[in-house]
Amino acid sequence: MDISSDESDDWFIESLNTYKDLHVFQLEHPTKVIEWTGDKNICVAGYTGSRSEILELLLPLKLYAGENQGLCAERDFKVQHGGFSEEPIESLIHISGTRCVVTSGSSSSTLQIWDIGGDDSDVIKRTGVINLKSTSVKGCKIAPGLTDEPAVLHGSCISEVQLTEIATGRVLYTVAKESSDSVSGLQFVNACVFLICASDGTLFMGDTRDPSTCHYPLEDSKSGLHWAFGLRSDSSQSEPSGCTVARLSSSGHMLLSDLRNLQSPFCQTQLNVQHDASKNDFLNVSWAPVLDRCLSVSGKKCSSPQPVFSHRGHEMSDEAKYSGSPPVVTTHSWHQSRPKTILSVATDGSLHVWDWVDKITDR
Amino acid sequence: MPDIKVTPLGAGQDVGRSCILVSIGGKNIMLDCGMHMGYNDDRRFPDFSYVTQNGRLTEFLDCVIISHFHLDHCGALPYMSEMVGYDGPIYMTHPTKAICPILLEDFRKITVDKKGETNFFTSQMIKDCMKKVVPLNLHQTVQVDEELEIKAYYAGHVLGAAMFQIKVGSESVVYTGDYNMTPDRHLGAAWIDKCRPDILISESTYATTIRDSKRCRERDFLKKVHETVERGGKVLIPVFALGRAQELCILLETFWERMNLKAPIYFSTGLTEKANHYYKLFITWTNQKIRKTFVQRNMFEFKHIKAFDRSYADNPGPMVVFATPGMLHAGQSLQIFKKWAGNEKNMLIMPGYCVQGTVGHKILNGQKKLEMEGRATVITGTANNVIPHLASTLLDVKLQVEYMSFSAHADAKGIMQLIRMAEPRNMLLVHGEAKKMEFLKDKIEQEVFVRCISCYMPANGETTTVVTNPSVPVDISLNLLKREMALGGPLPDAKRPRTMHGTLIMKDNSLRLVSPEQALKELGLSEHQLRFTCRVQLHDPHSDTDTLGRIYTHLKSVLKSYSIQHVPDGTVIVESIVIKVTSSAEEPNLKVILLSWSYQDEELGSFLSTLLKKGLPS
Repeated sequence: MDISSDESDDWFIESLNTYKDLHVFQLEHPTKVIEWTGDKNICVAGYTGSRSEILELLLPLKLYAGENQGLCAERDFKVQHGGFSEEPIESLIHISGTRCVVTSGSSSSTLQIWDIGGDDSDVIKRTGVINLKSTSVKGCKIAPGLTDEPAVLHGSCISEVQLTEIATGRVLYTVAKESSDSVSGLQFVNACVFLICASDGTLFMGDTRDPSTCHYPLEDSKSGLHWAFGLRSDSSQSEPSGCTVARLSSSGHMLLSDLRNLQSPFCQTQLNVQHDASKNDFLNVSWAPVLDRCLSVSGKKCSSPQPVFSHRGHEMSDEAKYSGSPPVVTTHSWHQSRPKTILSVATDGSLHVWDWVDKITDR
Repeated sequence: MPDIKVTPLGAGQDVGRSCILVSIGGKNIMLDCGMHMGYNDDRRFPDFSYVTQNGRLTEFLDCVIISHFHLDHCGALPYMSEMVGYDGPIYMTHPTKAICPILLEDFRKITVDKKGETNFFTSQMIKDCMKKVVPLNLHQTVQVDEELEIKAYYAGHVLGAAMFQIKVGSESVVYTGDYNMTPDRHLGAAWIDKCRPDILISESTYATTIRDSKRCRERDFLKKVHETVERGGKVLIPVFALGRAQELCILLETFWERMNLKAPIYFSTGLTEKANHYYKLFITWTNQKIRKTFVQRNMFEFKHIKAFDRSYADNPGPMVVFATPGMLHAGQSLQIFKKWAGNEKNMLIMPGYCVQGTVGHKILNGQKKLEMEGRATVITGTANNVIPHLASTLLDVKLQVEYMSFSAHADAKGIMQLIRMAEPRNMLLVHGEAKKMEFLKDKIEQEVFVRCISCYMPANGETTTVVTNPSVPVDISLNLLKREMALGGPLPDAKRPRTMHGTLIMKDNSLRLVSPEQALKELGLSEHQLRFTCRVQLHDPHSDTDTLGRIYTHLKSVLKSYSIQHVPDGTVIVESIVIKVTSSAEEPNLKVILLSWSYQDEELGSFLSTLLKKGLPS
């Protein structure tokens, strides 16, 4: 080992203090999606190249060993199931309580429905499609329905958003809104209430029992910006009142709104980010499921305000040292039960699982 | 059909050991001879009855190849060669030859001395076995006999690990053993050329795993050591004499230097001498790039690491100690462990696998109370009945235990990289469950960078037969080549095969393709010519000459690409076929067409006679 003052080595040594756990993996192909399919399983899928792999991975058992973590040497992911898609995959969602996932590809006219498979085989099989009204380069946005009967909410522009029953292909609900604004994200708050965030930051709230939707445009909307959103609901999920919506623009403007009053955000802040119009693809904002009032942002380099923690692992990796441009984080996902564990993936195929140290509370 | 047969020895789904039989071109090779570390009885040995039901293996095996020194790859070697019986050559790299006997002896000591087993090899057997070893260098082609040759390739993984190419004629198999595709500081990544073997044999677990980086494993190690030392605790790291110890020492040394740490690090006696020996083996084995890093200063001479004295174990304050043996079954590491186990501030780091029955194994299974044999003799009983026995004490294990694995192995991404490097025609994965590996099979078979390949996944004990398509090199005479190329038809395409005619002469060890005339000349034979004649009767109210002319015109319109001549002496010639027309004086309209052709033009001749029988167009 060279005793070099290489930035990457410095970061590595520092990581002994700044991270509790740090695991670095290299996927064969980069992914834009991380979706939990079980307590210990995630699905990832390729988006480069025409033939993409969908993989279901089992997380390293060391993360689940609890008190016996020291005795467990198992630090690797296991590939449990795999399948091939004929298109690059933009989004992937899991229907809770089933072994079914739905994917959308770029410039595709259908959504693909898959069965991840059980113990007797390692194949992820396509079981059907849902036809879309139009195609979009960024792919159709999708979200799982929260009813007992598996359904998927989907649309690439507001007027095309609909809820389709997976087993029959029957359209259960359509948004009655004439708007060609493109969808940045959508999500159900409970079994009937859902939110859509348009690319320009406008929020739409709808109820599948009611054909009309309410929309909440931004007070001060600037053109050319792209907005991403993240939804946090409290554990009960029956009342929408406990929900908070975070919206983040590509210029770093952050808005937090309560579902009871989507018109006026209760909190606003400006993050100092690298403003690059061409690199909005991976803008991502998520709420921590366990920690209170904790948000994470990826896809943009943010210099201020000072975050609670900044994971620089992807740009500090050995692979990144030798490539021309630093990798960009495509997406990240919080661990469902471990409070400070995050999974993040980047354009170079790296997959990191990390658990940071909060200097104030963890010592 | 020519084929290659591969059989992984072992039963059912067990994955604990490697021992694979390959039959290629009439030769039988055993790849690795590992011990199954999970069994205590004869199931730990491979089942050699597959090779032969009774007795010695020498006449059934042409050679044995050992990929590296880990016990699950070489642990059963002395048993096979000395107890079952094999006197042929055993091939391995130089470092493997140097390290194997040390590990086998350690292993033997634990199994026999500690556990009192009887059906096990002796120290002498290990020595006798090693006498049969033929060491080889990387990329050096070794002729096992006139037909069988083998070559070793760098595999990374551990010092001396190699991948092997086994070749008979134009058929070949590559066995990977254990390897890694991501380079680390000490051992580079595996490498092989585009040798295009008929079969590439590897482990299925590689393909289904995505591995945590070596760096993160090292980070964990440094973090745990640092935390312990910071709180004033002591760290015990039991190691084998050779191997992991050096790597971890370098890691700690560099870290200590960088962080300006003061706590002492000790290296158990016995390890220091071996370190130099290891260093020498290591330097000749690694590549230029890595060698430069280590030659700058002898990285096995440490600034912060000192020789250990047993009295130091009682010193207060933090320290780190590397001690042998590696599984805590006896000796210095066990002594130190007994002193430090009761303090929860201390830490035990196990960097490797521990055999069943050792203290190391028990601790790694979570045991918190261990029965230790004491030294005192206690006498109990009545005046008439005295029973002496060693008092055993119960040891409370309160220190922190960390099990860390540092072995570099390939993973899903790595195995695809290797396939692209070697371009095998077929892939064979051992130790997997075929039913459950359909996706994997699909993925490998559809690898677009390589020609279409088949992926096999035999169960242990099952033989896979792979049909091969060997190419046989033949010399061709220049005359024949020129003649064949001068034949008409479309221009020859360099990539597409084209049928040609010649005579194959197999004499001594050579194969030659020559023209038939040349062959006849060499054999001293003269050529016989066969000619067929046929008469076709035709009614035609023209003169003989005109009839012939009409025949000429007719044939010219039907056989457009053939050479047809109308010769003034009254014949039409098509290729070698001669056509004449005659008639009798009595019946001038009844024409007799005489066709004559040589044996080579039989097909055309028959065609013409059938054609002319149908008559001429008017």
